[in-house]
Amino acid sequence: MAWNEPGGNGKNQDPWGGGNRGGNQGPPDLDEAFRKLQEKLNGIFGGKGGGASSSSSGSSGMLIVVLLVAFAAYIWNAVYIVDQKERAVVLRFGEYLETVNPGLHIYFPPIDSKYQENVTEFRTYNLRHQMLTEDENIVEVAMSVQYNIAELKDFVLNVENPESSLEQATQSALRHVVGGSEMHSVLTEGREAMADEVRERLQSYIDNYGSGINVGKINVESTSAPREVQAAFDDVIRAREDKERSQNRAQSYANAIVPEARGEAQRMLEEAEGYRQEVIARAEGEASRFSQLLAEYTKAPEVTRQRLYLDTMQEVLGKSNKVLVDVEGGNNMMYLPLDKIMQEQTSITSGGKVELSPQQVRDLANKVAEDLRSRSNTSTRSGRNAQ
Amino acid sequence: MSPKSMLGVILLAAVVLLGLESLYVVSERERAVVLRFGELIKPNVQPGLHIKAPFIDKVRIFDGRLLTLDSSPERFLTQEKKALIIDSFVKWRIDNVETFYTATSGDIRRANQLLSQRVESRLRNIVGSKTLQEVVSGERDQLMEFITNNLNGIARQELGVAVADVRIKGIDLPPQVSDSVFERMATERDKEAQEIRSQGNEQAEVIRADADRQKRVLLAEAFRDAEKARGDGDAKAAAIYAKAYNADAEFFSFYRSLQAYKETFRKQGDIMVLDPDSDFFHYLKQSGAK
Repeated sequence: MAWNEPGGNGKNQDPWGGGNRGGNQGPPDLDEAFRKLQEKLNGIFGGKGGGASSSSSGSSGMLIVVLLVAFAAYIWNAVYIVDQKERAVVLRFGEYLETVNPGLHIYFPPIDSKYQENVTEFRTYNLRHQMLTEDENIVEVAMSVQYNIAELKDFVLNVENPESSLEQATQSALRHVVGGSEMHSVLTEGREAMADEVRERLQSYIDNYGSGINVGKINVESTSAPREVQAAFDDVIRAREDKERSQNRAQSYANAIVPEARGEAQRMLEEAEGYRQEVIARAEGEASRFSQLLAEYTKAPEVTRQRLYLDTMQEVLGKSNKVLVDVEGGNNMMYLPLDKIMQEQTSITSGGKVELSPQQVRDLANKVAEDLRSRSNTSTRSGRNAQ
Repeated sequence: MSPKSMLGVILLAAVVLLGLESLYVVSERERAVVLRFGELIKPNVQPGLHIKAPFIDKVRIFDGRLLTLDSSPERFLTQEKKALIIDSFVKWRIDNVETFYTATSGDIRRANQLLSQRVESRLRNIVGSKTLQEVVSGERDQLMEFITNNLNGIARQELGVAVADVRIKGIDLPPQVSDSVFERMATERDKEAQEIRSQGNEQAEVIRADADRQKRVLLAEAFRDAEKARGDGDAKAAAIYAKAYNADAEFFSFYRSLQAYKETFRKQGDIMVLDPDSDFFHYLKQSGAK
């Protein structure tokens, strides 16, 4: 507890005989304390002071009130609270007395002087600078340093302005580290290692100063190319995307045509295989048919041969339009409007109209035959006559 | 107030004044000297409460903490005559109070000025003997240590000052040089971007060409295998035909011809111009046997 603190506290309370505690409890004790104080003062200044105060009781009363108020104000100033987050350094006559832990305390200005600071809270220093890298490029680094006070005594007594010293040391350490790194590493994968190295350096610098500061965490917030060349750097990123894109396009082209080709190849093979099996099967079929027929033919060659011939001729001629030309001699010019007949036929069929019915065919054939007959009569007359 | 009490007050004031004049406090944060009629009688007063001869002795108190000399950025030339703007700072503290007082008459600004001239000349010498590369990235630690030690000896002796640290806070290129650095950086990036794009196109072309080749090969191989299969089929069929037809070649040609006639005149409407003398019409002309 604060009252039990070792050091000057207990001693210093003695002259007031627990007046401090009384001040907290209420006026009666305080009055008593003041009376004691007054007595002491009277004692110090001897008879003269006593004479002055006894000469008029009114002015003595006034003096008491003034002293009372002054004392209360003094106590009000002298009592202080050190928060859990804080520590205080007390100097007595300029000499280091103690570092005070959290609690309620009292010190005695102007004999004592007190420096109270928050020591647990991390403070932050942010900086953003352009700096040179090892390969003579310029990068922009934004960094934040978190620090707190590790040793308040050192913080208060050793360095003129510990925080500005920290800032200068940070800049120096950061530039040193960036100056020893290549731009690529600063901008990309080297950032984490950079923070560690800056932290190490910074701590060693400020330890050298004895500033009592502890560097907590260093964050490299961002490293980027300077604004002046940002566009070019962005273009590199775009180029990477472009590369990816053109590769993807090519890959999709490949993905499209190769399987199709595979399918086409398979189709060619299947067709060929189909053909192979087809021709073999047909050959077997035809060969078998021929062999079977041959077996019968050998038994009755003449009849079979004649029958086959007639069957075929019947079939062939039955389907065709027939023109029977009885021409003797080879050099007779015969004119048949064959092209016309053909044309008539094709125009009818290709026109999508109904095919010629057998009746029509017959009529047509008759007409042709008639035509031929009349013609042959005229054209072959000479031939006939010659005959 | 009676004259007696007036006298009392005056006496009290005199005692207080005397007390204040004969007592002084030196803090842990401070260094002090005591002068008697300008003569230094106490060169290094320890922290605490002290007594001096009132009105005769004078106390001079200085800041005893670590002080900073933050000089303004200066232009330096490196060995290869490249300009650099270097911003440095020096951390120092009063070491020998007596020397410090005599050298600077206790003026911190004066001390900073003297120190900064010495630092600058050393820095200038050392930067002038190094290349830009060495200054920026090289052994900066050794460089700084060298300057610190070098400076420390003289500063201690001449100024009564201990130099704790000399550091370069910033190294920058002059603005016109930075511009050309930026231009170079930009062109380097352009180069890189171009290379990446072209690599992309290259690989895309490779992928496409590979795909085209695969397609060609696949189709050609398929064609080869297909033709083989067809040839195989044809050969086997031919063998089968030959085996069957060889049994009676004459009958085969007769039979096959008949089939061919059928096939040839399969279409309706073909016109046949026939000679009535052909075999087929043998019986058409004469019913009796020949």
